[in-house]
Amino acid sequence: MAYITQEQYYDNNGVNPQDANWGSYQYISLDDIVNNFMLMYQGNHELINNINRYQILFFAKRAIQELNYDALKEVKVLERPVGADLKLILPSDYVNLVRISAERDGVLFPLTENFQTNFATAYLEDQNGQILFDQNGNALSPQHSELELARLNGTAPSLYVNPLSPYNGQYGWNIDDVWYFRWGIGGAYGANTETANVNPVYKIDKQSGVVNFSSNMSGLLCVIEYISDGMENGNDGSVKVNKLFEDYIYAAIKYAILNNRVGVQEYIVNRARKDRRALLMNAKIRLSNIHPGRLLMNMRGRDKWIK
Amino acid sequence: MINDVRNAVLAIVNKNNYGYITPADFNLYAQQAQLDIFQEYFQLYNTQIQRENARTSGTGYANLRQISEELIDIFSTSATVSKASGFYPVPTDCYLLMNVMFGSRVVEKVPMNRIALLNASNLTAPSVSFPVYVGSGVVSGASATSRISVYPSSIASNLTMEYIRYPRAPRWTWVTVLNGDPVFNASANDYVDFELPDSDMPALISRILQYAGISIREGDVYQFGQANEQEAQQKDRS
Repeated sequence: MAYITQEQYYDNNGVNPQDANWGSYQYISLDDIVNNFMLMYQGNHELINNINRYQILFFAKRAIQELNYDALKEVKVLERPVGADLKLILPSDYVNLVRISAERDGVLFPLTENFQTNFATAYLEDQNGQILFDQNGNALSPQHSELELARLNGTAPSLYVNPLSPYNGQYGWNIDDVWYFRWGIGGAYGANTETANVNPVYKIDKQSGVVNFSSNMSGLLCVIEYISDGMENGNDGSVKVNKLFEDYIYAAIKYAILNNRVGVQEYIVNRARKDRRALLMNAKIRLSNIHPGRLLMNMRGRDKWIK
Repeated sequence: MINDVRNAVLAIVNKNNYGYITPADFNLYAQQAQLDIFQEYFQLYNTQIQRENARTSGTGYANLRQISEELIDIFSTSATVSKASGFYPVPTDCYLLMNVMFGSRVVEKVPMNRIALLNASNLTAPSVSFPVYVGSGVVSGASATSRISVYPSSIASNLTMEYIRYPRAPRWTWVTVLNGDPVFNASANDYVDFELPDSDMPALISRILQYAGISIREGDVYQFGQANEQEAQQKDRS
């Protein structure tokens, strides 16, 4: 892709959206990657020849996907309100979770994942405990399992932690914003501090594609930070990757092709593999942005007095 | 060049009064000979690539690959084609389709047995950024033509086809008969000279002699042409 003028960069030549090119210089497009690879790494005198462009495209996309899973720090953020169903549908390009927060009074509270499941599939049974099936032989399921009903109705016991309350750390029920406890005396010895938190908790139901929250999340704004695979919903023209990873992408494509080809000597495959690995490490170090100024800021904390 | 080639052929053939080649016959042999040599350019180019990869070729004046490339470049051309009934027709004089361009984007050729798989894959499905095409043929009456289908099908605008064309059929034209021989006329409307460079004149003569030798049933003429050609090929490949 050709370089753009500064006018194009700052206000897209007056065309909406005017912020379309902001920060674009950090990235190289998929188009450029494939084109450059076809031009520079394949040909009559290169290690790779007679390769189809769609093969390059496939391996380039796979490399970008892999980068998005761990090395890149391209975290996407989406906010959505959570209603009475206590569900948040996962974003359309969701691959993995970074963090979920609840917004309350303008402050984001990071939520902890409930280690106890709060959803399940249930089967309908007759009075003899026999599972009921439909005409196709599939088991009949209710709309909500007992576990889900308890959560939706706020009748599921949960850890309640509030340092100002005498019921701190006790199991309780939240019904219409009023907490009820099984017993009201005694210390909260043995509370699970890992999950002891006044904020709502959640559990991701990956199969159903939703996040299930505890009942005290109802009406709050949820902010989900997640990573995608960088494929931009199949819009090839929008796929891009940070320039720090450009060489890695070429090395990854080269390795993938050589590794799959018949008759390529093992030492060439190994060389390509080592290239790929070394370039990934280099790019990760670059992207981590470790430099003296930043280290200095961290080192200043060492002299802090701990009272 | 065509008149020089014809004169040389006639001189060799008539040396021992083997026979006479009519202009019509000569034109047929000339077209066939030119096609033979034209197709050999691609073989020769491939040989040079292999030699380069084996590090047995040189650069500068010894750059035979460049010579081969320049020979083929003589026949490179382009044409703009429009979509009709869902297909883009391939120019009739196309020998090798090099690039199909959709604006500034290259449309990639894929085999027909791959297109269904490509379309079914999320990662490789053709897009406006990475379009592909599949070649096919169509028979209409007595003629068969080539055409291509472009994917994604949303692409409907004109395409530019960059290709290597066939050389035009050479035509030695004449105007009057003098002393029983037709006189060459380069001003005729249907006159077409050879398109091969002068360096291929000996090869053309050898080829035409082979065809003429078969035609007049003179083994010596055929063998002379064949021996000449083999000698030239030996030099090219050594």
